[in-house]
Amino acid sequence: MTAALLVEDLHVADAKGTPLLRGASLQARPGVPLTVLGETGSGKSLVLLAVLGALPPGLQAQGRVALAGTEMLVAPPQARRRLWGRTVSVLPQEPFLALDPTMRALSQVAETYRLVRGFPRPRAQAEAEARLRELGLEGTGTRFPFQLSGGMAQRLALAILRAADTPVLLADEPTKGLDAPRRDEAARRLRDEAERGRAVVTVTHDVAVARALGGDVLILREGAVVEHGPAAQVLASPSHAYSRALLAAEPSRWTRPARPPSPSGPPVMEAVALRKSLGGRPLLREVSLTLRPGELVAVLGSSGSGKTTLGDLLLGLMRTDGGEVRRLPGVAPWRFTKLWQDPPAAFVPHQRLRQGLDVLSRRHGIPFARFGSGMERLGLAPALLDRLPAEISGGELQRFALLRALSLDPVFLFADEPTSRLDPLTQATVAPMLREAARSKGAAVLLVTHDPDLADALADRVLRLHEGRLASAGCHPGGPLGL
Amino acid sequence: MSGARGLGAALLLLLGGLALLGPSLLPDPALQDLRSALQPPGTTWWLGTDHLGRSVLARAAHALRFSLTLAATAVGIAVLLGTGLGLLAASLGGLADRALAALGDATLALPGLLLVMVVVAFAPGEILPLSGGVALAQWVHFFRVARAEARRVLALPHAEAARVLGFGPDYVLRRLVLPELRPILLTLVGFGLGTAVLQVAALSFVGVGVRPPTPELGSMTTELLPYLPEAPVQALVPAVLVAMLVLGFQLLSADEGQKP
Amino acid sequence: MMGVVRILLARLAQAGFVAVLVGTVGFALMHSLPGDPAFRIAAERYGPDMVDAAAAEAVRAELGLDGPVLPRLLRWLGRVITLNLGHSLVSGAPVLPELLDHLAHTAMLAAMALALALPLGLPLGVLAGLRPGGAVDRVVLLGAVLLRAVPPYALGLALMVVFALHLGWLPPAGFESPAAILLPALTLALGVAALGGRVARDAVMAVEASPFLRFARWKGLSEAAVVRRHGLRNASIPVVAVLGLQFAALLEGAVVVESLFSWPGLGHALVHAIFARDVPMVQGAALALGLGFVLLNALADALAALLDPRRARGTL
Repeated sequence: MTAALLVEDLHVADAKGTPLLRGASLQARPGVPLTVLGETGSGKSLVLLAVLGALPPGLQAQGRVALAGTEMLVAPPQARRRLWGRTVSVLPQEPFLALDPTMRALSQVAETYRLVRGFPRPRAQAEAEARLRELGLEGTGTRFPFQLSGGMAQRLALAILRAADTPVLLADEPTKGLDAPRRDEAARRLRDEAERGRAVVTVTHDVAVARALGGDVLILREGAVVEHGPAAQVLASPSHAYSRALLAAEPSRWTRPARPPSPSGPPVMEAVALRKSLGGRPLLREVSLTLRPGELVAVLGSSGSGKTTLGDLLLGLMRTDGGEVRRLPGVAPWRFTKLWQDPPAAFVPHQRLRQGLDVLSRRHGIPFARFGSGMERLGLAPALLDRLPAEISGGELQRFALLRALSLDPVFLFADEPTSRLDPLTQATVAPMLREAARSKGAAVLLVTHDPDLADALADRVLRLHEGRLASAGCHPGGPLGL
Repeated sequence: MSGARGLGAALLLLLGGLALLGPSLLPDPALQDLRSALQPPGTTWWLGTDHLGRSVLARAAHALRFSLTLAATAVGIAVLLGTGLGLLAASLGGLADRALAALGDATLALPGLLLVMVVVAFAPGEILPLSGGVALAQWVHFFRVARAEARRVLALPHAEAARVLGFGPDYVLRRLVLPELRPILLTLVGFGLGTAVLQVAALSFVGVGVRPPTPELGSMTTELLPYLPEAPVQALVPAVLVAMLVLGFQLLSADEGQKP
Repeated sequence: MMGVVRILLARLAQAGFVAVLVGTVGFALMHSLPGDPAFRIAAERYGPDMVDAAAAEAVRAELGLDGPVLPRLLRWLGRVITLNLGHSLVSGAPVLPELLDHLAHTAMLAAMALALALPLGLPLGVLAGLRPGGAVDRVVLLGAVLLRAVPPYALGLALMVVFALHLGWLPPAGFESPAAILLPALTLALGVAALGGRVARDAVMAVEASPFLRFARWKGLSEAAVVRRHGLRNASIPVVAVLGLQFAALLEGAVVVESLFSWPGLGHALVHAIFARDVPMVQGAALALGLGFVLLNALADALAALLDPRRARGTL
């Protein structure tokens, strides 16, 4: 079988000559999904842009990219563009933003039939309606994108790609921002496309997506291919050290520490029959929860389930509509603290880290030296203190956030998806640090996450928030929680 | 764009210098000498004389000083009032916030110059209603920007973090909101000063702003309109000065204005 | 459709606010004048020679000019809202018919200015936005900055000197010949075009960089189809959204430009009335300009709702 797409020894460098991609080779065959797996900055998105012939001006590319017989690195722009929508199509990163906000769903599908494939108008309409039906979007043809849910927007984008029916399909981080069930749905749909005989190339940072897609896997690191082969083989017994580390970083493979004896002492935080509506929609219907010193409780929920709201209500950052929050009496308010989802957003952008810690030490009379020992425990180099938040990595920032929170001797810590924006390897370092540090302080931790594996790997108790109520998710150690 | 800022600063320095030093170095702007009326620009009269034989340069220096003082006073009041109320609205929230926002929307129901004119109607030709009207038309811009920016910053995780870590509202406003607000305010002040200068000149030109014999850039042009064919330079110099002043303010604040 | 209704209700409330504000100012102005308001109104109606204490008393009773301030103000506002605007203190003629005549002139001037400004500003803005940093962009930017700095009266004066005095192509002022509208309209149009061009430039840049335009290209549409089906409508949304600013510039400019060119519109009337302390006329002209501004903004809202489904459905 010939390759629909062939990339040989592709090098890409920026205007200053810094290499971004150092000799990537791959081929995509019809019916076999190919997944390019890599962390942020591995150069994986550049591969897609090079295949499309849409590298940003200023980048230098060498090597060979052959797409259905056209040499994409040397072909003139018009020749490259003629392949778009006819030979190759792209599932965009965030479909919601890629759809025209002012055009109805059906027209966005039908225009591909009419203007790209040259169908007469009635047939284009009929075909477009058929594509919407296939993807479970019947009745949404007259809606505008802002009237669709995130999942529906992605299916609409897929309907557009099915209308184009190109032999090669590229997907750029198709699961970005999706929770586990929707991520698996998106991966399943891409596999369906491959089974329809198309060559599907997916770029992702998520090992679970690669596993769900099957086919071939290529692992990129700092612009170079470290491993390449059938998914079943690469993901089961990786040969390269980096691939092994990447796979071991999946929460389901973490070694679980021994559970501590059941927590004792008076509860530090108690919620009784909490209720909260946002925008007229009841989010929490009746939520009760007790946290005791030293325990780590995970609350699982999909996006929009109200799990962050629950934590903010406990901290008093939001007002409840009903019910009661009881805190351990006689404890200063700042000993009830929080870790934020997006580490850079939780730091003052124009304040160097030393300055931030300095005002904190003066506000609460903490000797600055205490931060030094804390930094050492969390593996933070002293040189980082003189940087701005934007100048250090997300993992380091989240450890600084932890340092900041721990310096106030917390009794309660609300960790709001604290590792969801971090690369898998970083998550595998930071998450256990969070658990150990909280435990050593005897603080109760409320971990909010959408990842059942992470909840299972870290928590003493796992609860699920569904339709405004909390239920025990059951605790089966090591086993994935079916969502 | 830093070249543009430099040009703007140079223009303002030149005009500011003339306004500051001119009145003490140049002859009395009210000194009439009908024998030397409508003299063209030359070595004795650098910018010529008007129909009453007064030095255009001396009158322009006084007019510049007047325009700058009035604009600075009016915009100063508008900045303090608007920013203060904006920060107050954003931190209080709730009913107070909505009431202040409605007050702001109400101010915008009339175009700015019309609002100034409605106030000026109480005492045409006097300075107090003129500066009050300009401030009234401008406070709302500072209010809206301060409120929007404060609301944005207060909703950010780092402001929430400051509260969780035990810092009070005073710290949050001074250390987190103001540094983000300052560059935006500075840009707006530049444009506000330009607008104020333009409005005062326009109203004086049509005869309801400041009246002769007070030297004012707009009314100087009006006074010389009947002599336009004989003295085009003397009639246009004040208008050119207005344009240079506004251009200076705009260029100086252009850099921040380019930010998306 | 809920969104449209809500927007129009907001504009209606704004119109009500303009009437109350201008009416209150008119009331306060009337009482800030030296002497007895009833006497002044009687004088304007019957002529200064015919006024005596009895005539003033009759006016006072009819218009409710005595008693506590608040009921007096409410009666005054009631008359303003029902467009019972009284008589000019200068000419003694009823204000309303005179206003309608001025309004027609201002509307004509504003329409002419827009008709000149849009074909001038928008295409230049679009060209500049397609090549940010290019030659067109720089020239347009420079022109816009200069046009915003030059006072409108100076611009008008310069045009008058060049086209009327030196070249003699156009009449310098007045409203007798149809060509007289060209110079004041052009003066207004240049300022409005500078503003509109700038907005169009930014809108085109934003759409050009948007993920949906990139996706439209990747779908395989030709460049013409991309622009026609996805570019134009989306780029026009912000342009329409800030039309209100351009209308403000238009009306503010009208005040100055009408005075300079002796164009008998509302701005000219307002300036004259302020000068002559003719309170009913000040009130009427300010009211007409203010309500005109609200009406133009309501039209812009309707256009925005037509272009942007999110706005029509109240999600924005």
